[in-house]
Amino acid sequence: MPTAGLKTIIALSFVLAVGFLLVILSCALWHSYYPLLVVATYVLAPVPNWICSHCANPDDFVESSGAAVLDLGRFCTGFMVVMGIALPVLLAHSNIISIPAMVMSVIGGLLIYGTIISFTMFFQEEQEF
Amino acid sequence: MSEDRLWKFSRPEWLNSVWARNSGVYAAGGLFSLAFYILLDSAVWSKSALNASTIHVTFVDWLPFIFSSLGMLIINSVEKARLSADSFSYSGSGVAWKARVVLFLGFAALAGGMAGGVTVFVLKFVVPGSAFPAMTMGVENVVANALVGVSSVVLWVSQNMEDEYSYNLAL
Repeated sequence: MPTAGLKTIIALSFVLAVGFLLVILSCALWHSYYPLLVVATYVLAPVPNWICSHCANPDDFVESSGAAVLDLGRFCTGFMVVMGIALPVLLAHSNIISIPAMVMSVIGGLLIYGTIISFTMFFQEEQEF
Repeated sequence: MSEDRLWKFSRPEWLNSVWARNSGVYAAGGLFSLAFYILLDSAVWSKSALNASTIHVTFVDWLPFIFSSLGMLIINSVEKARLSADSFSYSGSGVAWKARVVLFLGFAALAGGMAGGVTVFVLKFVVPGSAFPAMTMGVENVVANALVGVSSVVLWVSQNMEDEYSYNLAL
């Protein structure tokens, strides 16, 4: 894992700003504020993983119930990530938002989620056993 | 290789890694999400101005999906280790038998949901002879129920990798 310095923080915040810019533009240019749901989805996406990793007892290998809780969190996270792409496509298919708005909000949402993921990857606490 | 293995071909080595297991669970969640949003798409499209036909998505269209999801929930809530009744400790109080009954109910709900999706498609869209933009709602119903089935298969397979996974961690 590369060491995370000041440049990483600046680059990540820049990407996050570009992602938010794309999503907000996709809302404001067509006066339809449904694509903002994408931001909420991607911000909430790591939450199930985070909650379930705190609920699970990692030392419990005998009954494997800890792994089941972790799996539930991963399942919910996968659900949310695909939801962030499926929601704009759904809205565009029913002509609620236009196709360019769909493309912009999908790209913006992926940038936001990529920022969150890489932020947690770079600044993870070192876990030593 | 253990002696009591049944099949000639063993699972490939990469399938037992933690990475493959976790990505399988993520993929199952993604597939389920895809199924839900495909069905929601048909409902939203039905109420939008694009739908020129008189057919609309009602609760009946959601019923097969509800049954499929219920079946998926039941199937993947059963502890897989209880199914193998070889050891006395699990088969002692008939847990394996109970697990099989519950699992049967789950698979019945899943297959019933799939059949219900096809039924809605045939009775509501094919028999009245609707044209294609409206027919999409029925096709989406079948596809959504099939995706729930695929999702539960992926989740089942990736949960069955658990044995080697926990063994590797315990070592």
